[in-house]
Amino acid sequence: MRRLIVCSLLALSCAWPAVSPARQAAQEVTPAPGKVQSITITSTRDPVDKSYRKMIKGMERFEREHALAPEATLRFHLLPRTPGVNMHGISLRVLGDHIAVPVQVTEDNTFVLPRNEQALREDAAVVANRKTTSMTWRAQVITPGLPAGTRRLGDLRLECLVGMEAGLVSNSSPMFSWLSNALTSPEQVCNSPNGNFLFFTERPVFSVTLRAGERTEILPFRMLYAGGELPREELPFCDCQVLLDRTYYAPIWDHGWPDDTLVSFEYMDEPQPEGQP
Amino acid sequence: MKTAAPLLAAALVLGGCATSAPEPGKVVAEDRFSQLVVPGRTTRAELLAAFGPTQTIRFDSGVETWLYEAEAGAGRHTELVLLLDRAGVVQKMRRRPPYPTDPKR
Repeated sequence: MRRLIVCSLLALSCAWPAVSPARQAAQEVTPAPGKVQSITITSTRDPVDKSYRKMIKGMERFEREHALAPEATLRFHLLPRTPGVNMHGISLRVLGDHIAVPVQVTEDNTFVLPRNEQALREDAAVVANRKTTSMTWRAQVITPGLPAGTRRLGDLRLECLVGMEAGLVSNSSPMFSWLSNALTSPEQVCNSPNGNFLFFTERPVFSVTLRAGERTEILPFRMLYAGGELPREELPFCDCQVLLDRTYYAPIWDHGWPDDTLVSFEYMDEPQPEGQP
Repeated sequence: MKTAAPLLAAALVLGGCATSAPEPGKVVAEDRFSQLVVPGRTTRAELLAAFGPTQTIRFDSGVETWLYEAEAGAGRHTELVLLLDRAGVVQKMRRRPPYPTDPKR
């Protein structure tokens, strides 16, 4: 149900017209002869741009909940959201009324957000040189030294809390932020089996296995590919639209699985493992 | 009017994007399934002829995953998941047994 609400909010935010003109982030005003003025708008903010304040709150949440992943560091990750979006050469800026701070995006489309007090005061936005709705954003929390093709459940728990706190997922317009916040608090989403927070693997995935000590379980089919329940016509309202074959739910709400649980992936392009099925 | 707008928004939100729960995979006999389905050889047409249609997800890449299930006793089921390539040939197969923590249907 939560997933439905989140994707509904997204659909609504895409369909709803902006209620106020996009804020002009930086202007050069040139008085012209007579009464005519020339205004050059160097950039604008989209109503669905990411909030710098919220992303900083996400970073603060990471610090508060660091015990979930004591060895991990935090980055943010840009992923394709719509078909055909060019994910090469993305640049980012923190854009306020009187400030523009460049953010370095690495080749894997991850970045660290710098802290800037002026940008916080100006309620800046984090703006990419792509249409905001063409990408989806996630927190990336990775403990170093894990085996290839694995994640750690505590890292995923923290990714959910930070991602929700930072407002990376709902992508709803400010007009609906009150409703969005009421329905999608980090605790509601990350601590509930109905939270349906989507994770993405590096490549199309065929199977996901959890291992903690002697306990091993394969995730059920309904926890892959967004539950396998999205009709094709509704995919555009899910931020898994072009990542469906990389999408899975992890049981982050189930504390029967410790934070050190290893989540391993069998990818579609790997040979069939020996002895299976 | 000011109060109507949020209510309208809430109604639209709660009413939008409704989906139904996914159908479970078609139940088959696991022994027969294991005998007949061979990765690298079995085709979509052969699956349909032997076991009938089931829950399927087709991705933009043209690849498909199919879910069949087998009775495992006490109301539980074993999942039998197939990966079909763009040509409709089974490339991978995996089996997921039921676990004690699985919810009962």
